[in-house]
Amino acid sequence: MTNDGGWFDRFVDSLPERGWFKFLSTYVVVPYWVWRDPKPKLPGGPRASAQPSENVQRMMNLIMPLKDSSPIGRAKAALAIAQNVDEIFAGLDNVGTVHTARFLLLDDYICMISVYDGDFSNYIRDFIATIGSVFDEVVSLVEGGDDLIPTTHNVERFIDWVHAHDLFQAPDFPTDLFGLQDTASGRSPDSPPHELRSLPRELILQLNANPNISLGGGYRAYPGFSAAQVRGKFGVGW
Amino acid sequence: MEDPGIAERLVDSLVRPDGSPKKRPVHTIGIGATGSFLASHVARDYCISKHFQGTETPVTVRFSNGSGSAVQHDGWSDVRGMATRFHLDDGTATDLIAMTLPEFFTPTPETFLDFALAAKPAKFSRESPWRKILDMLKLTPPMRDPYPGETVRPDEGAMRFADRNGYAQLAVFQAAAIGAPASYDRASYHAVHTFVITAPDGTRRWVRFTWQPIAGVLDTNPNAPPEDVYLQDKLRERLALAPARFSLMMSIGEIGDAFDDPTRPWPPHRVRVMMGTLTLDTVVKDQEADCERLSFNPGLLTDGIEPSGDLVLRARKDVYEISSKRRGAVPCPFSRSQANDE
Repeated sequence: MTNDGGWFDRFVDSLPERGWFKFLSTYVVVPYWVWRDPKPKLPGGPRASAQPSENVQRMMNLIMPLKDSSPIGRAKAALAIAQNVDEIFAGLDNVGTVHTARFLLLDDYICMISVYDGDFSNYIRDFIATIGSVFDEVVSLVEGGDDLIPTTHNVERFIDWVHAHDLFQAPDFPTDLFGLQDTASGRSPDSPPHELRSLPRELILQLNANPNISLGGGYRAYPGFSAAQVRGKFGVGW
Repeated sequence: MEDPGIAERLVDSLVRPDGSPKKRPVHTIGIGATGSFLASHVARDYCISKHFQGTETPVTVRFSNGSGSAVQHDGWSDVRGMATRFHLDDGTATDLIAMTLPEFFTPTPETFLDFALAAKPAKFSRESPWRKILDMLKLTPPMRDPYPGETVRPDEGAMRFADRNGYAQLAVFQAAAIGAPASYDRASYHAVHTFVITAPDGTRRWVRFTWQPIAGVLDTNPNAPPEDVYLQDKLRERLALAPARFSLMMSIGEIGDAFDDPTRPWPPHRVRVMMGTLTLDTVVKDQEADCERLSFNPGLLTDGIEPSGDLVLRARKDVYEISSKRRGAVPCPFSRSQANDE
């Protein structure tokens, strides 16, 4: 946009793109605000909702830090999945509520990305019941995972652990972040309302608490329908 | 409406100092086009309205800039409007009024009056460089620099209102950054309000409509100097080359959704139905007679579509009619006949 506010105004407008100002922001300004207004880490996974279409095609973005992120450690993680493909696929068929699921090796993490129907805890319970042994192998490669083995004997703790490693899902509507932060801090949501211009700062501070997040609830090509409904419609159900 | 005078006061509140009494108080600058709407093969399963039965329905569309300024500033960040009139085969009509903002500012006519008064375009001071630095240190965005020639704007008042009224925050936040479309046919337009449609088996569904451009959404570069006049020329050029098309998408609400509150958009995970395709092929020749003097009205509905309990939707019917009378437009269809009335 045209700026006719003079050279100093143009200079100020350019500050966010200048290296020294980025350095100042990253190492002084943001840490100051983190100290002054710390945000609790917001919980992962989809939020509770009464609406049917919010309870189908739900996302799980499970991000698990590898104990050994060297090429050898990563190869072990790849083998743990590759050697159990039959067990994973049969298990997912038996769970029956999963639209898609896949494992990724991403930087220092092994990730399980899936889309499922219904309650989160039940989904994890079903998973452990059907492919618990695979998860034992996976979590043995992950930081903090040893205490959960065997997962079939530590179901509730495993559910909490998965929840903690599932990505926070940013709200579909940006200003809803205020209410989520209020609730996490034990305050009444948006009462009183927040200063609207503080929203970018609230997002920056939240990204300090939750560095990895899912940006919104995602696109669905056939929204509102469960895996069972889709299978039933096409005559391939079980 | 409970307060019979509020529609008049709403129209009064919307008038800008740089507007014109002979034009609309908002969405003042616009251009009309004509074409047809063809319902999808599933539309008739959801709604008994004539234009959803599968035969081509002639349409008149008016695209507009949301501002009430009588001076054209296409390149300024602003909400855009798309008013569509379906000319039904029995001689009646039904309108669908949509805009690029996915939600409204307030949940009731009374609160909208408060908002309109608070956000009335007013003189403002350019934010000083020192104030901008302070904003940056607070991790808040500086207020937008004025456009060349911009002397009044609603931004400061709207922001103050949103700081006091949480329901306005989403719309004010999104409107502040909405930008300018590359062309009127490269934007999505949301009808914002909930309507109740009736299916052939009598099933009633609470739904919201959105026009999605088949050419895709495309905005101008917000960092480039804005052009004041280009949108109408772009549309003329576009339609001279080939028709512009939009899909009419319908989201079906679920129990617990904000049926009567236009400040709350529905999440994108609701069941969506593709209700039909709009094809625009001709720019209206006599814009003044056949577009600018037309009176669109979100309350002009037809059998099979009813208003929800949304109080703003119900109030807009009177507001549009009063506005139409004041500028001496073609009388609102409500004035001629109640055939289409709710």
